[in-house]
Amino acid sequence: MNIFPTPFQTRRAFIGRVSQGVGGVALASLLEKGGASLFAAPALAGTRGVIHPLPLPQKVKRVIWLTMAGGPSQFETFDPKPKLAAMHGEAMPESFTRGQQLAQLQGQKLVCHGPQFPFAKFGENQTEISTLLPHIGSVVDDICLIRSMTTDAINHDPAHMFMNTGAQIAGRPSMGAWINYGLGSEAENLPGFVVMVTTGPGRSPQPIATRQWSSGFLPSKFQGVQLQSRGDAVHYLANPGRVSRAQQGADIGAINALNRQHDAFVADPEIATRIAQYELAFQMQASVPELTDLRGEDARTLALYGCTPGDGSFASNCLLARRLAERGVRFIQLYHRDWDHHSLLKEELPLRAKETDQASAALITDLKQRGMLDDTLVVWTGEFGRTPMSQGNKGPTGRDHHNKSMSMWLAGGGIRRGFVYGATDDLGYAATENICNVHDLHATMLHQLGIRHDAFSVKFQGLDAKLTGVEGASVIEGILA
Amino acid sequence: MTSWLSRIFSVARFVRSGNASPSARRPSPLSRVGRQGVAFLAIAVSSARAEDTFFAKRVTPILEQKCVVCHGAEKQKGKLRLDSFAHLMRGGEGGPAVTAGDPKGSELFVRVTLHPEDEDFMPADSKPPLTPDEVKVLELWIAAGASEVIALAAIKGAPALAAPKAAVLPLAPDWRARAPQIAQLEKALGIRLVPRSMVATDGLVLRTASSPGRCDDTTLAKLAPVADLIVEAELARTKITDAGLAVVGTFVNLRVLDLTRTAVTSTGLNDLLALKNLETLNLTATAVDDSGVAALRQMASIKQTWVFETKAGGADNPTAAAKK
Ligand code: HEC
Repeated sequence: MNIFPTPFQTRRAFIGRVSQGVGGVALASLLEKGGASLFAAPALAGTRGVIHPLPLPQKVKRVIWLTMAGGPSQFETFDPKPKLAAMHGEAMPESFTRGQQLAQLQGQKLVCHGPQFPFAKFGENQTEISTLLPHIGSVVDDICLIRSMTTDAINHDPAHMFMNTGAQIAGRPSMGAWINYGLGSEAENLPGFVVMVTTGPGRSPQPIATRQWSSGFLPSKFQGVQLQSRGDAVHYLANPGRVSRAQQGADIGAINALNRQHDAFVADPEIATRIAQYELAFQMQASVPELTDLRGEDARTLALYGCTPGDGSFASNCLLARRLAERGVRFIQLYHRDWDHHSLLKEELPLRAKETDQASAALITDLKQRGMLDDTLVVWTGEFGRTPMSQGNKGPTGRDHHNKSMSMWLAGGGIRRGFVYGATDDLGYAATENICNVHDLHATMLHQLGIRHDAFSVKFQGLDAKLTGVEGASVIEGILA
Repeated sequence: MTSWLSRIFSVARFVRSGNASPSARRPSPLSRVGRQGVAFLAIAVSSARAEDTFFAKRVTPILEQKCVVCHGAEKQKGKLRLDSFAHLMRGGEGGPAVTAGDPKGSELFVRVTLHPEDEDFMPADSKPPLTPDEVKVLELWIAAGASEVIALAAIKGAPALAAPKAAVLPLAPDWRARAPQIAQLEKALGIRLVPRSMVATDGLVLRTASSPGRCDDTTLAKLAPVADLIVEAELARTKITDAGLAVVGTFVNLRVLDLTRTAVTSTGLNDLLALKNLETLNLTATAVDDSGVAALRQMASIKQTWVFETKAGGADNPTAAAKK
């Protein structure tokens, strides 16, 4: 592997520094850590963010983001629609759909498709959610349900991109990268942004690309690091047979000494990133086995989540998310795939619900009983919602992608508990009350972290790039406690 | 070089400027007015004294605070004045601002419930929007007939008025005077001392999460020069023991203390009784039991203690969050 920058990189870095672009800004914060030697104790504690002190009171220190990839149907989960049930099988009134963008139903006959499973009232506030989600029902008084979320995108990859980076086109930093860049990482032996992906046992779902957790134009040390759900959490984590930890450390120390020399000469931010990554990787050889060793968790905790250590399930990942949170990881994102029910909605969705319901609720319960829910933000969402119309051109009935209405929930520090925000029209086609969108969600998340979304920008290609975009976003005040 | 290392490096990235598509235009609430009629409530009008009316007590303050700068005696944007009941009822350029009994058919209500980015949204020019509670007050008032004289008590369900904000009290001395010492301690001890907020008298948070193994009783002892600045101490998973709690007991302005998974015991907790501001204490997965926790819970300042995975708080400690 070529670890030395090419002349091209050098030139770019030079220009970046002279023009005081993002390169210059990032470099300053990277160099703060750059001087720390691998073995000189103590090393610097984590990394400082570019924002300090924080402009707003910090309500949460970390985010656990549960992505239900594929786009779960709100009609079988969180948005009861008796009128839609009553019109099941009838033509969808044209007043709703005329001139609207549709994904795979373009030009098809549009037919109302009622909720496929009963809803029931849960909790003190009698919130109505699907009977497929009894565990989430049991913690519904701790969560805030949003029924009026909307998004710009209508196909998977751009919709994930939009949800993760605030832009549909790849290349922007993912929110986990933004947050670690802004606030710094609390963990010095784990990445500040960790991603884990689980796949249901069934079909082969839509792919999830690593560009979803890219750091975009921010230094690459802020990108998400994926831990594997099965087998070794990180491939080739252990040293080869006869290499001791001391030897490995000495090698990395020597490489980094060379890199530092070169960095002092050319000052390319990517060298500082590389140095930090070598150090982090070395630390992770010790911290990851400790992280994933669940022997310290008692039987009640495992039963709460419903997992067996090493099973690679969403439940195990939820438990790991809590352990990552305890260890100072700033942004933890879990993907659970296979929610894309164009067909076989009735057959497949209950399986996904079963795979995620207990563990999602357990995460809330567990954080709460450990006193961590108050400073953690938990978000459960897909990348978009689904149509109230049936889709029949892909096999047994399902629902198509939809961006005018979707349901999601949040829980944790500073978020109203046991509260339902927003509503959709009678047939659930469009959000009509307290309409909010993904930019607003990002603005709200940043607000809870103590960051003003409209003032958190990075100069990039002549623009002040922001996670919340340029169209304007507002903190969703209505869901704040 | 092993390939797992390379997994966490991004070697080359091609960055394009993300040109997001313009945000989907939201449907105008006006188009929904027909579909979601609001039940008209007939209310017997009791003649209340002006100062006891719902209009005077609840509606007028909102309009005065958020609307009258542009809709009053000085400016009449949209030819609308909102500084008296009569003006309000007369309406503006577009006709009456309020239709009694029908909030969603009332221009005044519709304007304040649009998406804040909508060009018709009120208040205009990104002035502070109405709070959800204020919107609710307007809705209830219009639904109940938009009367000038209806009594305050006759409209049920209005959100309570927010208690006046207490003056911001300093939580700790201004840390800025000791900035060099703070920086020096951070460097020497490998801990973090982070300002809680932009307010310099909001104190510091002691952070150790990045490497809890580095923080022990001796580390704490060295924090004496900033002891009074620390308002939150995150000591979870550190190596501190009861001896360290004796030092924590000198953090006079401490409010939040996390001792999760440390070696502290009930004996050490006695030292915390000196902390007159302590509000939140996390003792999850420690060796404490009721003998130590009970006394702490008696402290006037304590709001929340967590004793999950401890011997405290009942036989098997089923629910962990013990609220006082
Ligand atoms: C910064 C100035 C400003 C503030 C503050 C403001 N408005 Fe307006 N308002 C305008 C302007 C300018 C117009 C005319 C343009 C338009 O119709 O949008 C207007 C028009 C209106 C109209 C339509 C009048 C008509 O008949 O055409 C209503 C209703 C209204 N405002 C209500 C409110 C309410 C309620 C508030 C307080 C919550 C408020 N406004 C605060 C500037 C303001």
